Amino acid sequence: MNLFRKMALRLAAMDWLLTVGMLCLVATGIAFVYSASQTGDEASRALHHRQIVWAAVGLVAYTGMALANYRDLERIAPFAYAVAVVLLVVVLFAGARIYGAQRWLFIGGLGIQPSEAAKFATLVFLASVLGHPSLEVRSSLAIAVSLAIAGLPILLILKQPDLGTAMVFVPMAMGMMFVAGIRARVLAVFGAAGAVLVSLMIAAVVLPGKLDLDAETQERIWQVTGLSDYQRTRIRVFLQPEYDPLGAGWSRRQSEIAVGSGGTWGKGFRKGTQNILGFVPRSVAHTDFIFSVIAEEKGFFGAVCLLGLYGLVVWRTAAAAYRASDTFGRLLCVGVALVLFLHVFINVGMTIGTMPVTGLPLPLVSYGGSFAVVAMTLLGIVQSVHMRSLPRREGVFFRDLPTRADVLK
Amino acid sequence: MSTTEERRDHLLRFGGVIALMGAAFLFLLFSLWRLQVLRASHYESRFEKQSIRRVRIAAVRGSVFDRNGLCLAGNRPNYCLGIYIEELRQPGKWPATVREVERTLDRAAGVIGRPPSVVEDDIWLHIRRRLPLPFIAWRDLTEAEMARWAAAGASVPAADICVEPVRIYPQGSLAAHAIGYVRRAEPRVDDDGGTYHYYLPDMAGVSGMERALDAVLAGRAGGRLLRVDVSGYRRDESSEREPEPGRSVVLTIDAGIQGVLESQLSGERGAAVVLDPRNGDVLGIASSPGYNLADFSPSISSREFDALVNDTGRPLFNRAVSGQYPPGSTFKPVIAIAALESGSATPGMRVDCPGYFKLGRLTIMCWNQRGHGSLDMRGALEQSCNTYFCQLGLKCGYDSVRHTAEAMGFGRPCGVGLIEESGGLLPDGAWKMRRYGEPWWPGDTANISIGQGALLCTPLQMAMATATIANGGLCYRPRMLRAVLGPGVNPHTVRMDGKAWRPGELAEDLHLSPVTRELVRRGMLDVVGELDGTGARARIPGVTIGGKTGTAEYGPRGARRKYAWMIAFAPYERPRYAVSVVIEDALSGGRTAAPRVARIMEALFSMDGTVAGAVGREG
Repeated sequence: MNLFRKMALRLAAMDWLLTVGMLCLVATGIAFVYSASQTGDEASRALHHRQIVWAAVGLVAYTGMALANYRDLERIAPFAYAVAVVLLVVVLFAGARIYGAQRWLFIGGLGIQPSEAAKFATLVFLASVLGHPSLEVRSSLAIAVSLAIAGLPILLILKQPDLGTAMVFVPMAMGMMFVAGIRARVLAVFGAAGAVLVSLMIAAVVLPGKLDLDAETQERIWQVTGLSDYQRTRIRVFLQPEYDPLGAGWSRRQSEIAVGSGGTWGKGFRKGTQNILGFVPRSVAHTDFIFSVIAEEKGFFGAVCLLGLYGLVVWRTAAAAYRASDTFGRLLCVGVALVLFLHVFINVGMTIGTMPVTGLPLPLVSYGGSFAVVAMTLLGIVQSVHMRSLPRREGVFFRDLPTRADVLK
Repeated sequence: MSTTEERRDHLLRFGGVIALMGAAFLFLLFSLWRLQVLRASHYESRFEKQSIRRVRIAAVRGSVFDRNGLCLAGNRPNYCLGIYIEELRQPGKWPATVREVERTLDRAAGVIGRPPSVVEDDIWLHIRRRLPLPFIAWRDLTEAEMARWAAAGASVPAADICVEPVRIYPQGSLAAHAIGYVRRAEPRVDDDGGTYHYYLPDMAGVSGMERALDAVLAGRAGGRLLRVDVSGYRRDESSEREPEPGRSVVLTIDAGIQGVLESQLSGERGAAVVLDPRNGDVLGIASSPGYNLADFSPSISSREFDALVNDTGRPLFNRAVSGQYPPGSTFKPVIAIAALESGSATPGMRVDCPGYFKLGRLTIMCWNQRGHGSLDMRGALEQSCNTYFCQLGLKCGYDSVRHTAEAMGFGRPCGVGLIEESGGLLPDGAWKMRRYGEPWWPGDTANISIGQGALLCTPLQMAMATATIANGGLCYRPRMLRAVLGPGVNPHTVRMDGKAWRPGELAEDLHLSPVTRELVRRGMLDVVGELDGTGARARIPGVTIGGKTGTAEYGPRGARRKYAWMIAFAPYERPRYAVSVVIEDALSGGRTAAPRVARIMEALFSMDGTVAGAVGREG
């Protein structure tokens, strides 16, 4: 049997629903990047071409990952994690400062966000550690180790600060630890502590203004929270819808109007007037706020369809987790499902005002190459887990894995 | 823990996580449903509020024509050059765009050959106030400028010709009071209740027929929806409603007659009215001094307007309908009618005039202080004997006088439609008690009988009474509107309704007895026709004219001045014209007003072709 036939047979064993769902999302993304950037200048009108290129790259990564053996990731996971942490440290010193946060590293003109890489590396490393047969998940050691693995990048990311990524990171790590079997009570304690901390911070931001404390006292309280100006503003915008409507509250407000005015059936493709007239800021309409463009042009119907596609992808990911033939694969799928879900929830929530504005993209749809490729790579891993959970078939088998029958024996 | 158990534990826990994610998804869906379905209209209106601008488009005002289709007030297109700033927008801050607009202005100035009349501040003001509308940089482009623009304008980007209507008055100051002036209308909430972001006002009539017929002439303003982008630039527009042009009107006024009246009044303060006694059409209605309507178009400076308002001659005041004068002796035919119709006197009643009339302590002089001797009613009309009419008035009683005068239209506006019309004053006992706290004395009746006392009337009322006498007792309500045309309809192509109003409709039949008709008309014929008639100076060859002069005194004792009146109708047999003329601060009706009536009659009959023939026949 030649290699070509083998590959073809393996691809035939893919979870096609997952692939189709993903491709639909990518296609939607290209279409609405085109719609969102039509009124910009000459350069931005070609953005969808670049998005097509990125989609192609992502598709190669997806297919490659699907055909590869995800177990190999276990070996490179520690190194990837180490590199990611180093990059997170480097970015604190050498990163470019944009809007008061140091998130970007520019290497040879190419900008990367170490926090994205860290998300990916931590997911895989955490899965490999928690899924390691020699780790007793109920032990205190397991708790300490997994908290250390997840906590280090989280702290570094908060130092940048990048609230959005942290908002994905924390629930992702907690969810994976929970599913892996870490004692729920321990997690609950940490969760509660986190919730109290967050509430205190929010109270510190909002209450001084409400209580009419003098400026100096307010300033001192804010100093204690360690939040930067723009973070405080964003929190206030989130909690107080009428705060600074022409300034900081603008995007949130305009995006809400765009979504709401879309109505049930929408204004039609390329007829999203909030976007065309520039009320949804042109700089973010095709990236973080692409959902408001879709919801405006295709209405509630379109929004439900889009969320349905995400539901499909998350469902197939969960299905892969269900069938996964080992704990590592299962936890990988759990992590991917969580990351995708959290991105969608936070991003969509941001455009309709139920979440604070953070710079999180809508996976597979927002314009932007690196995250699209990362997301498709993650789904490739899921596909790989899925295929390697299938019963052994003639000519298509995965040597180094026990069959499902073996596992269930 | 075995692998299987571990797996089950994992999946159980993952099930919990999945359930949480599902709940979160449902929450998202619910939020979206609330936003996009439940509250969609709220967000739609918020969206419209920030991106839709309503512009009110003024309707073109209807024209005003005279009865022969001559244009008295119309519109001409005013060609303007506007700059569409949104096509010149520059990236970055506003100053870059403003500089681009200035560059475009310079280029356009080079093409049309006139420097722009706007400065940088105007551009800024326009950007702040009405950015989505074109910025008008030049108004009133001449033909040469238009031609240059047509040849080379295409090379200037973002500039285009736009047209504004401007009110014009082809006949200059002719019939200024009757037409009336217009000014920019105050912003008002339109009938659809909508408010506008940009209000392009139209003209509203302030006086005259422009005011009276404003609803017809004004048309209906249109609206346009402009969509603006986040910076306020116009992006596109959709018409909400086209403006409906106002309808044109045809007045009963004859520009030729009007011109004659105005020339006869020029230099004087006074008024003159010509009515058609067959239907009440106002053929001419003039007030002097007048003003130039063109001064009001497109707008009048407040300095010029103040000058008009403060002028002692009160040029804006329409004396023909608003001026209230004591009628003097021109009121005597009314007394004669009252006496005859009430049956308290016959034409044969004779009174001996000693040159004055005495009633208790009141003495009223007759204008002929040597006395007229014994006169019958016809002679008393001819001679305008005060003594006779004081006696006659007292004999028939004030109630009859008042009743007749009321029936002939005194004491209330004639209803010609002009808002500025006054009703004059036809006093009665109640009025006197209110005003002076005194009862009505017979002396008051005597004074009214010679057109003095508290009695006041307008020249239009006098003309109306004249017309009523002329046609034998049909009191037509005068009218100035002959027809309303559809928008853009040429008056020459329309058959207009010129027929008389039937009694009961808008004419009141006084049901005068033949004796009354005959006597009053004959008396008025003698006034002009007899050599010693007071109105002999109104006589012209070829036309028999009936008339009555009057001289009423006014002003403080010691500085008495006189209003000179004359009313007349002609031709005697079948009257076609009823005229009233009043001149302020004049000598007397016979000497000041009568010659003017003669000139007016001459012109009237030569215009309709009668006099030339008549003159020829009489040699």
